[in-house]
Order: sequence, then structure tokens, then C-alpha cells
Amino acid sequence: MWTFLSINSKPLLQITLIPGLAFILVFAIFAVWFERKFLARAMLRVGPYYCGKRSGLLQVFADFLKLFLKEIIIPDDVNKWFFSAMPVLASTIPALALILIPCDKNWVLWDIGSLSLPMFFAIAGLAPLIPIFAGWASNNKYSFIGAWRVAYMYISAEIPLVLCGAAIAIMAGSFDLVKIVEMQKNMWFALPQFIGFIIFFIGVIIEAERTPFDIPVAEVELVFGWRTEFSGIFFGFTMMAEYVMFQAWTLLFITLYLGGYNGPVLFGNVIASHIFWLIAKMLAVVVFIILLRCVFPRLKMNQMLNLGWKYLTPLALLNLVFVLAMKVMGVA
Amino acid sequence: MTEPKLEPDIQRISWGPQHPMSGQTRILLDTDGEKIHKIIADLGYTHRGIEKILENRTYFQGIVPIERMVMADTANIGISYITAIEKAAGIDVPERAQWIRSLVCEMARINTHLYAFGLQAESTGYFPAVFLWTTTDRTVLLDLLEELTGARWSYNFFLPGGVQKDFPEGFEDKIIKGVNYLRDRFQEYWDAMVENYTFEIRTKDVAYLSAEDAVRLGATGPVLRGSGVSIDMRKESPYAAYEDLDWKIITEKEGDCLARTKVRYKEIGQALNIMEQVASEIPEGPIKTRVSPFLRIPKNEVYSRVETGRGEIGIHLFTDGKDKPYRVKINSPTLRNMYVFERMAELTYMTMADMVVVINSIDPWYLDSDR
Repeated sequence: MWTFLSINSKPLLQITLIPGLAFILVFAIFAVWFERKFLARAMLRVGPYYCGKRSGLLQVFADFLKLFLKEIIIPDDVNKWFFSAMPVLASTIPALALILIPCDKNWVLWDIGSLSLPMFFAIAGLAPLIPIFAGWASNNKYSFIGAWRVAYMYISAEIPLVLCGAAIAIMAGSFDLVKIVEMQKNMWFALPQFIGFIIFFIGVIIEAERTPFDIPVAEVELVFGWRTEFSGIFFGFTMMAEYVMFQAWTLLFITLYLGGYNGPVLFGNVIASHIFWLIAKMLAVVVFIILLRCVFPRLKMNQMLNLGWKYLTPLALLNLVFVLAMKVMGVA
Repeated sequence: MTEPKLEPDIQRISWGPQHPMSGQTRILLDTDGEKIHKIIADLGYTHRGIEKILENRTYFQGIVPIERMVMADTANIGISYITAIEKAAGIDVPERAQWIRSLVCEMARINTHLYAFGLQAESTGYFPAVFLWTTTDRTVLLDLLEELTGARWSYNFFLPGGVQKDFPEGFEDKIIKGVNYLRDRFQEYWDAMVENYTFEIRTKDVAYLSAEDAVRLGATGPVLRGSGVSIDMRKESPYAAYEDLDWKIITEKEGDCLARTKVRYKEIGQALNIMEQVASEIPEGPIKTRVSPFLRIPKNEVYSRVETGRGEIGIHLFTDGKDKPYRVKINSPTLRNMYVFERMAELTYMTMADMVVVINSIDPWYLDSDR
């Protein structure tokens, strides 16, 4: 039973390296660093400069250490159990979704075959509950408004996302993420399902709470939304949660539309090149989404709901009908 | 302040003074979910008694504390007090000094409008890109001001009877150079921010204020002109050299937050024109008339009106023959606009997200309203 703990075992490598702990941490460090350093250029600043010899890379570690050593303040009137549990759960639950992502045909941490796509949506669908509980437990008006903004936003985003996922499953003839990726050996699904591709991309930005959809934590309106009352490492966990969600949805986006791990074989090693292509595609999408932050102001809640219900959902249905028609006519 | 009673099913949020965007004030928001029913502004957190301080200072000493009302806009605040003193004492100001005053006032106006512009961008959720751009670009103006007055902020440059210093050598060319640089940059602001579709849907039709309401509620400055009312103190009661300069009042008909932003943007353009005119057409002559530092003004009562970046400031000055004013009453633009802001929730539909945009569209400066 404990054989997976031997140093040569695949599960151990998968848990610790990819798509496990190291993958998540390195991604979060990269994303924070990139965001600070490159957005600074758009703002005519230099960004973090002294910690880590002008690249500012060590500043991320310094800040993590600061968060870790700071006092955790639990206000008097909060529900202590919920308040302490939610930040931890907020970063672990989306991390669970990562274990379903195939990095290669033979490199899937939790291979549950044709249940993997529904399971991803199920796990990721749990994630918005955490902010709602956290906002309720914080006993703060800003947190509470932020929590309900999360609820409205995720409902209007996840329905189009699930519809897009269904269209993909119809086209691939399977819910199995590995099979979906293998189907894209010759053509990425982004081409036949271009509408779905755009909708899913917008959905990923919404799920990751990135600009212009960072409505629940809108700093100038709600202080910091549902995260207002957290301090110290609790706040660090909520920050982590944002990046884990970002990573999980980006990976699913790549898996469904951009050919997943597919790519030319490099280094003469199939698994290594597959993992390389997965990471490369993820970074490209992530950099694009981060750079949106210096272009867009934030939308309002009602504009966001308009977008979700009036545009994304009908278009996702249209996409589904289109794919069904293609399937019936035998094109795909 | 006694808080008004809460209606049933309404949540009251205390917005500020500890809030990333509030500044030094507290605003009570009666909200139902996201919708705002009622706004109650609780001003006075930064009351420093400037009016009382002025009673204990001689006329020359008083220039220093009154400029502390709005640090980004010191020239326009300072000139309001100085024109009041000059009116009361009947002091003539040489023409060249008037032109230099206009130049410094317009530079201060650009400075404060840039600040308002940046905050408006940030209030819509623009990650502070535009705010940092405006802060960086104002360095050009601050360098010019430093060369002319000796200080980057709070220059106390105007005196009753004129200005402290004449242009340094080659200053006119530097002004033209700075104006040309800023023109290029402002075109970028227009493209990146005002023409941005997301910015437009965040500010268009938000907090619509009709011309009648604006006049009735006593709005002033860009808020009033954004509603299509063409009133500017530089034309109504000309001071400095504004009568001789060629410029026009900017108005926008729409009356929403976008219109107010556009008014500010276009006023910056007018201010750049004025700077250019001053640099090329400034008349020769003395820069001050001699006024005793121990100036005594016989019993008199004057009211001076000056257009600051936020709107009309009124200084009601009572003198009684001593070397200090008997009483100074300041009618500040932010206070007048805050009354308008308090009514906004009743006049239009407003949500939590709009609130930040609306309050930054009136460009509040609480040190100004609290005095």
C-alpha cells in the first residue's frame, strides 16, 4: 500500500512535482513576480528592485515570509471555526481539481477515466462556496457584500462553462480528459469550436477573478471584498487560492481547446516534452490574462450579469447546437 | 454627528475614513444589497480652523496657512486670498505680474486636474496605470515651478502687489518644450482611458445631473460645467490676466461622470494654450508694486471669487484698520459639491460600484471642505 512512497514511484513524483505541490508553488511565485514586474513597466515604474538584484524575484519570498510571521488576528465577533478553516480550504479545494489534469497519456495523478471532466466541474464548483462562507463568517459588511458578489458571478459564469464543456465532450465522444487531449493530436478544438473557445476564455478570467472581472475583491469599492478581515498567513492562503483557481482553470482551458499536452517531441523524451508543452501553453495564456490588467477597468456587477446571462449563456447554447449538428452530419 | 435613524431592511455602511479610496472623511451609505438609498457625508475629520488662524496672522503671514487648504492647487487658493487683500486695500498690480500669476495658476490647475484624472481612472478599477502616468507627467510642471518659484509644492509665490520673482533666463522656451511634451502625453490619455470602452460604460449615464439640479444644488466647477452650465469665475469676475488671454469655457451637455472627466481633460488643453500664450506674449515691465509688510487695511468688506481646480472659491474678508483681518470666511468648492453628491442617490440610481466613481467625479479634497 505504501509503495507509492518509494523514490522511484510515479505517484510520489506526481504529488510533489507535477501537477502537484511544486507546480502550484512555482506557478504562484511566477505569477506574482510577473504581475509586479511587468505591470510596473506599463505604469512607468521599475517594480521590486532591491530584493533579488533588480529582477525583484526574492521579493516574493520575502513577502511570503512576512505573511507567515505576521500575527493572525481573529476578530471578536467572527465565527472562529469557519473563519480559520476557510482560508485553508480556499487554497486546497481548487488544488484538488489540478490532479485531474493529464500531463501525458501515462501521467495522470487521478485517472478516473470518463468521470474526469464532470469531476473537474464538481470540484471547481465547490470553490465559490468558500468565499461565501468566509464572507459570512467574517461578520463584516464589506466581506458579506463581496461574498454575494462571488455567488452571483460564479453562477453566471459556470453555466456557460459547463455548456462549453458539454460541447467538447460531444465532439470528442467522451468525458475523459485524456481522450479529449488525444483527439486534438491533429487539430485543436479551438478551431472548430471558436465560439466556445472565446466563451471559455472569458469564463476562465471570471473564475480566476482577474481584471476586468475582479468584482468580488474590488479594492476601491469593498476594501478587499470577502478577504477583508484576513491577516497574516490566512491572507496568504486567500492569495494562494486566487492563483490556484487561476492555474486550474487555465489548465482545463488548455486541455479542452489548445491541445493539452500535445506538441512536437523535444529532448527525445515524450513525457518531458509533453509536460514542457503543457507548461509553455499555460504560461502563454497566463501572461496574456495578467496583461489584461493594465488595459481594462473593472466591470460593474450588473454589467457582469448581463454579459453572463445575455451573451455567454445563449452563445454557449448556440455553440452546443452547432456541435450537435456537426456530429449528426458526421463532419466531426 | 448624530446618525439619522435607519429604515427597516436597510444596511448602513460606514465608508471611510479607513478605506482605500475614501480619503479623510466618513460617508454613511444606506444600502439595500448593492443599491444605495441614501448618502450622508460626515465631514470635518480634518478641520484645522484655517479661518481662525488667519485672524491671528498679518496679511502677509496669512498666505502660508491658506495655501495648505489644497496642496495640489496652492496657486489658485493663494490667489483668492491675495485678490481679496488687494481689493480691500486698493493695491494695483503690474501687468507682467498678472500674466505670471495666470501662468502659475494654470500650471496648478493642470496639476490638480491630473490628480483628479488619475483618481477617476483608479475609481473605475483601472489598476493604477493612469494614476501613475499622471503622477509621473506632472514632474514636468513641478520642475518648471521649481525653477520659477523655488518650490515644487506650496510655493507662496504670490504677494499682495505682485509676484516674488521674474522669469529666469530662457524660461519661455522651457515652457513651450514642457507644453509640447504634455500635449503628446494627453493624447495618449485620451486614447487609453477616455476612449476605452470599459471606462465609458462605467462612467456614461452614471450620476446624471441636469443643469437645473446643478444650479439649484449649488454645484460648481467641472461638476457644473459638465452639466452644460457655462460659468467660470475667470470670465465672470476676471482676475490675474484672464481678460487679456484667449481661452474659452469648456462645457459638456451630458451631465454624467464621463462628461465631468471630459471637462477636466479639455480644461487641461485650455490651460496648456494659456501657458503657451503667456510664454510668447508676456508684456515687459515691473513684477511688483511696493507694499509694506506691515500692511494695514482700513475698515472694509470685500468678496473675491476665484476659479480653482475644483470650482469657485469665495473669500469674504472683513478688515478693521489693524494689520490682521477681522474675519475671513471661506466658501470652498468641495463643500458645495459634497451637497450635490449627497443628493445624487435620490436623483439617480446608484450602486456601490458607482459610488466610488461618482465621488471621484466631483474631485473631493476634504482639507478644502473642512478648512
